[in-house]
Amino acid sequence: MNLSRAVLSRYIDLPSDFRALRLLLDDIGIEVKRSEEIDGDQQLTVELLANRGDHHCYAGIAREISGRTGSMLCGPEYTPLKIGPDAPQVLIETELCLLYTATVLRKTQPFNLSTAQTFPLNVAGIHSLLPPIDATNLSNIEIGQPTHVFDADKIIGPITVRESVEGETAWPLFSEKRIELPIGTCVIADDEKVLAIAGVIGCEDSKTTDETTHIILESACFDPVSVRKTARKLNIHTDSVTRFERGSDPSLPLVGAGRVCHLLSEGWEIVGDTACVGTWTNPKRSIHIKPAATCEFLQISMSHEEISDRLSRYGFILSGDDSSLMAIVPPHRLWDVDKPADLYEELAKSIGYNNTPASLPLIDKGADLSQAEKKRLQVEEVLLGMGFYEVITNGFYGRGQIENLGDLGPHVETLNALDRGYSLLKNNALIHAIDGCVRNLHRQHSDVKMYEWTRVFEPDSEAENGVCNERKLLWVMCSGAERPVSWAERGRNADSLFLKGFLEELSISLRLPFTLRSPASGPLISLLHPYRQADILLNGKRVGLMGEIHPQIRLDNKLKKARPCYLELDENAFHLTAAPLSYVTPPVHLPLVRTISFALPNQVEAQSVGRILGSSGAGVSVVDRFDFTQDDRLFRSITYQLSFPNTDGSKSADSVNQTLNELIAQVVSSVDGVFHR
Amino acid sequence: MIEPETILAEFHRQLSDAVTLADLDPLRQRYLGKKSVIKTALKSLKDIPKESRREVAQSLNAAQKEMDAAFRVKQAAAEKAAIEAKLASEWQDLSMPGISARRGQRHPLTLVERNCMDVLRQLGFELVDGPEVDNAFHNFDALNIPEHHPARDMQDTFWVTGGLLLRSHTTTVQARVLGQNPPLPIRVASSGRVYRNEAVDATHLAMFHQFEGIWIDKGLTFAHLKGVLRFIATALYGVRPIRFKPKFYPYTEPSVGVDIQCSRCSGTGCHACHFAGWVTILGAGMVHPKVFETFGFDPSEVSGIAFGLGTTRMAAQMVNAPALKPLYDQDLPLFSAMHKGGVS
Repeated sequence: MNLSRAVLSRYIDLPSDFRALRLLLDDIGIEVKRSEEIDGDQQLTVELLANRGDHHCYAGIAREISGRTGSMLCGPEYTPLKIGPDAPQVLIETELCLLYTATVLRKTQPFNLSTAQTFPLNVAGIHSLLPPIDATNLSNIEIGQPTHVFDADKIIGPITVRESVEGETAWPLFSEKRIELPIGTCVIADDEKVLAIAGVIGCEDSKTTDETTHIILESACFDPVSVRKTARKLNIHTDSVTRFERGSDPSLPLVGAGRVCHLLSEGWEIVGDTACVGTWTNPKRSIHIKPAATCEFLQISMSHEEISDRLSRYGFILSGDDSSLMAIVPPHRLWDVDKPADLYEELAKSIGYNNTPASLPLIDKGADLSQAEKKRLQVEEVLLGMGFYEVITNGFYGRGQIENLGDLGPHVETLNALDRGYSLLKNNALIHAIDGCVRNLHRQHSDVKMYEWTRVFEPDSEAENGVCNERKLLWVMCSGAERPVSWAERGRNADSLFLKGFLEELSISLRLPFTLRSPASGPLISLLHPYRQADILLNGKRVGLMGEIHPQIRLDNKLKKARPCYLELDENAFHLTAAPLSYVTPPVHLPLVRTISFALPNQVEAQSVGRILGSSGAGVSVVDRFDFTQDDRLFRSITYQLSFPNTDGSKSADSVNQTLNELIAQVVSSVDGVFHR
Repeated sequence: MIEPETILAEFHRQLSDAVTLADLDPLRQRYLGKKSVIKTALKSLKDIPKESRREVAQSLNAAQKEMDAAFRVKQAAAEKAAIEAKLASEWQDLSMPGISARRGQRHPLTLVERNCMDVLRQLGFELVDGPEVDNAFHNFDALNIPEHHPARDMQDTFWVTGGLLLRSHTTTVQARVLGQNPPLPIRVASSGRVYRNEAVDATHLAMFHQFEGIWIDKGLTFAHLKGVLRFIATALYGVRPIRFKPKFYPYTEPSVGVDIQCSRCSGTGCHACHFAGWVTILGAGMVHPKVFETFGFDPSEVSGIAFGLGTTRMAAQMVNAPALKPLYDQDLPLFSAMHKGGVS
C-alpha cells in the first residue's frame, strides 16, 4: 500500500521527522519498504500484516498509531444517512451478505472532486475517473469501506443479493466479454441481469458513465470466504477483494456510504431514504483477562486502568477491576480477535515490543548431537577429506528430464505446478547427480566430486500417508581427476574403484562392513554401465548401489570424455550399530611374505582368486595389475601379496613355498581361464 | 737442515690457494697427517746437534699449532661454503601451485543450519525431522490456518496426488511433534526443504530451506520469547543492535519479527536494507492457543515459544550472493570460490 504522510497527518499527529515516522510505523507492524520525498510530502510503500484488513486505509493505520502513541484520532467527515421506507427496494436471499445498504443520488450540477480530495488516489496509483467512482475509491482508501455505484436508470426492478444459478453470466467491468459464474456465487442482481459480483467487481451492464444522472450507491459487508473463493475462481483481484476477504467492518457500510455522499455533496444530492438490509447485529464479543496474568505474560507492571486505556485506543471497550477485565471487541476486529492472547498482543504493541523486558527461561541442560547428526558428521569427514563438495538440489524434476531414460518406476506427481520442471517428485537422486555433472562440465569444470544428503519419494499405497515413502539417502558423484590436476602429475581419473575406496574408508570410519555384489539391482541399473555396477551390501542386505554412468546416457548428455561414477547409500544404513574398537596384539615374529601373479581373463573377478588364496590363512592384498592380450583374449595380470602369519616363529620358508605351490595349483584348477605367471 | 719458517710459508701459500674441502684434503695429509712434514721433521730431530735440538723442536711445534689453527679456520669456511652451495642447488620455486590433495567443503546452507543448531543446543534443543510430503492438517489446519484463510495465500502450495501437499514450511514438524504429546519441556528444532508454488526468479524459488524451533513448557512468557530470540540473534550475528516488531503468523500470537542493525550501513540506511537501517532475520511468536487446543494441550496451563529462520537467505547473506538460485545450482567452481572467501 502506498501512503502519503500529508494525508495521514489529516487523521493523527505524526512525528515531525521523516525517519521517526518510518521507525514508528515499523514499530507497530506496518513495515515501510520504501520511502521517498515528493514535493515536500513523504510517500511510503508499506507492507501490511496479512490478517489486518482494517489496516488497508488511512483511518486504520491512524488507529494503529494512536494505539501506540495515544494521540487523538480525527476521522474524515461523512453525511449521516437516514434509513427509511423511501429507499430503493433491496432483497437479501443469501447468508453470504451480512449487511447491504443502498442510497439513491441525483446529479444536480457538473462537478469534480478537488485535487486535494483525489490526492490519496494518486498516491495509491488509482486513476481518477468519474466523481462518483472516485468517491467510492476514496471511501475505501480513507476509512476502509468498499462501496460501489450503479447507474440507477439501468436497473430494472428491486436489487436482490443472491447466489448465482447454473449457467448465469455476468460482464465484469474492464472485461471484454461475459463470463459464466460458478454456481453459488454471491451476486447483486436486478430482475434481468447481474449488476455486480458481490464484493469483487461491478458489471458493465450497470456501470456509471458521463451521462448518468441517477446513481444507486452500494455499501455493504460480505462474507469474506465467499468473496475470496469467488475472486480466486474468477481470477479477479480488486481493492474491494483485498478488503472484504480479510473481513470488513460490518458496522461501517452506512459510514462509508455517508462519506461518499459527503464527497459528492456539491454535485449530487441524496434522494429519499437509505435502504439498510441484513441480519448482522453486533455480537459484542467479550474477552476476559486477568490483569495479573497479563502483567505476568508481558513481565511488566500495569494497573487495570492502564490496560483499559491502552486497549481502548484500539477500539476495545473495557470494564472491570484489578481482578478481572472484560473487553468488548470492536466490530472491525471481530475477524481476528477472540482470545486473551490477542489482547496481550495489542498491549505489547501499545507498549512497544522493544519496551517490554526480555529474559531467558531457566535452562536445565544443553543438548547433544543426535546419533543421526553424529553419523552424518563422520561420513562427511570422509567425503571432505577425499575432496567432495556438498551440493543441495530440490525435490522435483520435469517429465522432459526423464523421458529418454527408460522405466524409472512410478513417481508422485504435483498437480498444480506453475513450472513444468516441477511436475514430478524425484524418485531417485541420479537424475540430479547427472545434471550437476553436466552443468559443471559445460562450465569447463571437468573434475567433479560432489555429494548430497537428500530424500527421494517412492510411491507406495501402503505408506503411512497412503501415497509415498520418503527415503533419505546420500549420493556421491565423481568424474575427472581423482586429485586436482597439477603441473606435477596428471594423476588418475576418479572411477568406480575410487568410489569403492570411499566406501572402504567409510567402512573404517563407521566400523560398518560394507561389501559389493555385482551387478546392481533396482530401477537405476539401466542408467549405469552394465559391466561397471554393483549393489552395496551391509550385513548381506542391499543398502545402495554404485557404478559408472551408462555410455548412452553420457552421449545423450553430451558428456564425450567424462566417465562419471555414482554411488548412493540409504542413510538408515549408517545408523546400524558399529563394531567396537578392538585392540589387536602385534605379532612377535614378522609374517612371511610372498608375491604371486596370475593372469585373469576379462570378467573373472580378482576377488575370486583372492578368496582361494585367503583360504590358506594368509592375509591377501593386490599389489600390482596390468592388462595384456594373449591369443586375442584380454587378460589382466594381477599380483597378490600373501602375508603368512608366523605367530610362534616356527613357520619355515620351505613350508610357505610349499603352500604357495599348492595354492597356485588350486587357483588354476578351480577358476576357468586363469593361469600362473 | 729443517726450516720451520719455510714449511710454514709453503703451507700458508698452499692454504690460501685451497677453496673447497677437496682442495684442503691433500693439505691436511701433507701438513697435519701422521706423515706430515712436521711429524717427519720431528722424527729427524735426533740428527740435529743437541744444543740446537730444543729450539728447533719448539719452532716445529709452534709451526704445527699455527697450521692446525689456520687449517681449521679454512676448513670451517670451506664446509660452510659447501653447505651453502648445496642448499642453493636445492632451490625450490615456491611460486608454483601447491600439489597436495584438497579437502572438499560443506554447502553454505549446511554451515548455516549447523551453526543455528549449535546455538540452539546450548538451550537444550534437539533436532527432529519430518516428511516433506505432508497433509493439509499438519501444514495448515493444525497451525490455525483454516481453508480459505488469507494466510494460505502467503504460502502458495504444491499439491500432489492423494490430497497431500509439499510442506510450505518446516512448522509441519512442530505440529507433528505436538501431535505426539511428548512430556514437557519440549525443545525441538527442525530444518530442511520447503516448497512454494510460485514463479521462480532471483529472489523467489519453488524450493528453499527453513529452520524452526519450538519450546513448550509451563510458564513461558513474552519476556522469555524475547530473551530466547535475543540469545539466538546475538549468537548468530554477534552483539549488534536488535529490534522487535509486530508480525502476523497464524500459528503464533503475539507474533514477532526480529531485525538486526544493517551491518553495511550501521543503521544509517543503505540500498541493502532499503534505507531502513535494519534487516529482518527471523520470525517468531508465542504458540497460538488454538494450536495447543488442536493437540489437546490446555493453553491456560502451557505456553510456547516458536521461531523460524530463512536459512537459504542467511546462507546467501553469509556468502554475499546476489541471488538465492546459485546456491542450488551444483556449481562447484562457485562453491570452491565461495569457500576461499577471496583468498586465492
